[in-house]
Amino acid sequence: MKNSSLFNKLSSRLDELSNLPKLDDEVSISKLIEEKGFSRREFMGWAGAMTSMLMLPASFTPLVAKAAELADRLPLVWLHMAECTGCSESLLRSATPSIDSLIFDYISLEYHETIMAAAGWQAEHNLEHAMEKYKGRYILMVEGGIPHAQSDYFLTIGAHGKTGEQSAREASENAAAIFAIGSCSSFGGVQAAYPNPTNATALSNVTNKPVINVPGCPPSESNIVGTLLHFILYGTLPALDVFNRPKWAYGLRIHDACERRGRFDAGEFVEQFGDEGAKEGYCLYKVGCKGPYTFNNCSKQKFNQGTSWPVQAGHGCMGCSEPDFWDKMGIVHEPLGDRLYHTVFGGLGADATADKIGVGILTVTAIGIAAHAAISLIKNPKE
Amino acid sequence: MIKLIEKIEGEAKLNFNFKEGKIDFVDIEFMSTRNIENILRGKNAFDALVINPRVCGICGHAHLIATVQALESCYSNLKLSNKAKIIRELTLNFELIQNHFKWFYLTMLPLFGHKQEILKATYPSQLMGKAIAIFGGQYPHTSYAVVGGVVCEITEIDIIKLQHYMAETLKFVEENLVKTKSENFLTCEDADALLDYEGDLPDILRQIKKENLLEYGKSYDRFISFGHNSYFKKGKSLKAKITHNISVLHVKESEMPSSFAKNVSFKDKYYEVGPLARAMVNKTPLIADAHKKYGDSIFSRILARVCEISQLLQHSKELIKDLDLSEKSYIEPSIDISKLSSSGYSAVEAARGTLIHKVEIENGMIKNYEIITPTQWNLSGGTKDKHGVSQKAMIGLSDVKTAELVFKSFDVCSVCTTH
Ligand code: SF4
Ligand code: SF4
Repeated sequence: MKNSSLFNKLSSRLDELSNLPKLDDEVSISKLIEEKGFSRREFMGWAGAMTSMLMLPASFTPLVAKAAELADRLPLVWLHMAECTGCSESLLRSATPSIDSLIFDYISLEYHETIMAAAGWQAEHNLEHAMEKYKGRYILMVEGGIPHAQSDYFLTIGAHGKTGEQSAREASENAAAIFAIGSCSSFGGVQAAYPNPTNATALSNVTNKPVINVPGCPPSESNIVGTLLHFILYGTLPALDVFNRPKWAYGLRIHDACERRGRFDAGEFVEQFGDEGAKEGYCLYKVGCKGPYTFNNCSKQKFNQGTSWPVQAGHGCMGCSEPDFWDKMGIVHEPLGDRLYHTVFGGLGADATADKIGVGILTVTAIGIAAHAAISLIKNPKE
Repeated sequence: MIKLIEKIEGEAKLNFNFKEGKIDFVDIEFMSTRNIENILRGKNAFDALVINPRVCGICGHAHLIATVQALESCYSNLKLSNKAKIIRELTLNFELIQNHFKWFYLTMLPLFGHKQEILKATYPSQLMGKAIAIFGGQYPHTSYAVVGGVVCEITEIDIIKLQHYMAETLKFVEENLVKTKSENFLTCEDADALLDYEGDLPDILRQIKKENLLEYGKSYDRFISFGHNSYFKKGKSLKAKITHNISVLHVKESEMPSSFAKNVSFKDKYYEVGPLARAMVNKTPLIADAHKKYGDSIFSRILARVCEISQLLQHSKELIKDLDLSEKSYIEPSIDISKLSSSGYSAVEAARGTLIHKVEIENGMIKNYEIITPTQWNLSGGTKDKHGVSQKAMIGLSDVKTAELVFKSFDVCSVCTTH
């Protein structure tokens, strides 16, 4: 059976991990979780949710729980580049019960500029120390775009005044796995928007090691934590899409699992914010939703511990997990189809078509065609 | 001596000059920039609504509100519902509150030799993040405020959830920050009486007194605050003398040779912004008393920031009562943005102080955009004859460690500053 061989594979990976030394002999993650007042049941509940997010069968829950407990075998180095710290913020607010944050805080204390206790020369020393001590073993997470302009605008950090590019490259050298957290680190982000004054670029452009992109602006806390758990479980790179995004999180379009999808299919659109359709939860396509062109799992994972997500609040998706969305997916409150597909359906834009055809399956096909064309267009922007 | 200051959501370089064992001058340098203003130029005006929150992941909501208000000020007769105004203000309050928790527990406590309490910081800020997400869909980086109102259509159930998050946050305050009923804390007008309470805040304040740190962090005793709403007033305070009649037109930015951050002055003078400034302008009794006794020192500055948590929670409770869900969330502007050529500005109180946005649009496209952040006010790097606010506060101290404490008492944010 496919599942049982995977189960065995993951189990032996975890056994291997458990032979590695812990970050700190005194503390263990399970003890920490218990100390903070979480029952075993709560912890297993959390692991169950993680299991389904990673698209594993429910019977894998004990493995995921074990993986979380073994997180302290893999130290984490978190670097800040040119960014807004929104991704760290997303994590600092991660789940209640805050099992995610507990695990994360605990293992990332080796080096995370915002939350670790050390600073200045000490911090830089810690980084070098962590990189040396855990050579080949640490997980590197980088937040922010890498400015590498031959201009006055660049980023110098650390007590030795290294450029961001240097630090990122050095830290990538001996990492066990490299994750670009957020759209900035994955694709350059907002600072790379036209005219890209600092020449900001993706992490993958400054190292020749494989980089796994976890885009989003910010990515949800579950995608960040899931990425970590996935690596602990498998020890290898996850299945990736053309933009090196893990398929378990970025395999579907926002549109595919959107709660307003039924409205879309029925041709019921918000025509203007605040109208009757908006009150009824109609589809936001015509007020600029880029969900049909955006691969991410926001509609399922949501943000702030599952509280909400932009489309739920009434604002369309703006495509933040797609490369260069700042330049390619504007104008924010206008449908993309309108401008891209004036040729579809006798010169009408996709949304105009939706209007004409009204309800039913035809609408789906119409926008379906447009959406596919859009995706291939967006994917090869430079061709 | 050069010291690198981190954990200010990025880092800054402070270059200390000593003379006879005392700090004589401090050069403040920021070593990076992202140049967002340049990115905004030439883009559709409404795109600023999604770009600007990304100036900062810590106060992104303040940037959203500043953007929407700056754009709205470009219209001549734009209408906003009361509901939209209240919702925007509530979310702004929640953002301020979550910031203050994180600053206190992640940044301040360790500087006083206490253990960094990550969970104490994250728990209440998570609650406030959820409260914002109810209206905004996610936090950080919401985009629910648009020209003409807000896009969310919240229900009674959302309000109940919101009240629950607020009650939990209040409970956290009463069990950790100041261990007393919040009414007692809110009505307390005597800074010394506060010292008799239990809790993380009184602990730190007592430590400041006991270790003779009361003289630390004094600057010009000159405060300013521009963002007014139903809680904050606009005005300036000079040695506790308050004037309300001030104009943003006298605010000027100037380049600094050694840093990517720009200086900001009002009528050519440097002013302090932030919770202490707001409390001075608002004449909050407890803070006014602290100021009378201990001046514009770290004592008053820390107290003012933490105290704002309780005040804003209380005020938000009142605001929710005024929320009429049957009102419109959004009222369409009478003129299409693509036909608009105009200019405008806004001033909003962000966690760290006054945030100003200025915009110029031509046929709906951004011609020019200027952002002045709170940290720029407090960290303007002056010259030896004319120090910036935080520079002045550090001069005369005899060690770099205390200087760092003073510096961070301003709740410095390098992300914003180096936009
Ligand atoms: S990806 Fe988004 S949230 Fe993360 S640092 Fe960049 S702009 Fe901020
Ligand atoms: S267009 Fe947007 S709001 Fe409409 S169904 Fe698709 S993702 Fe949802």
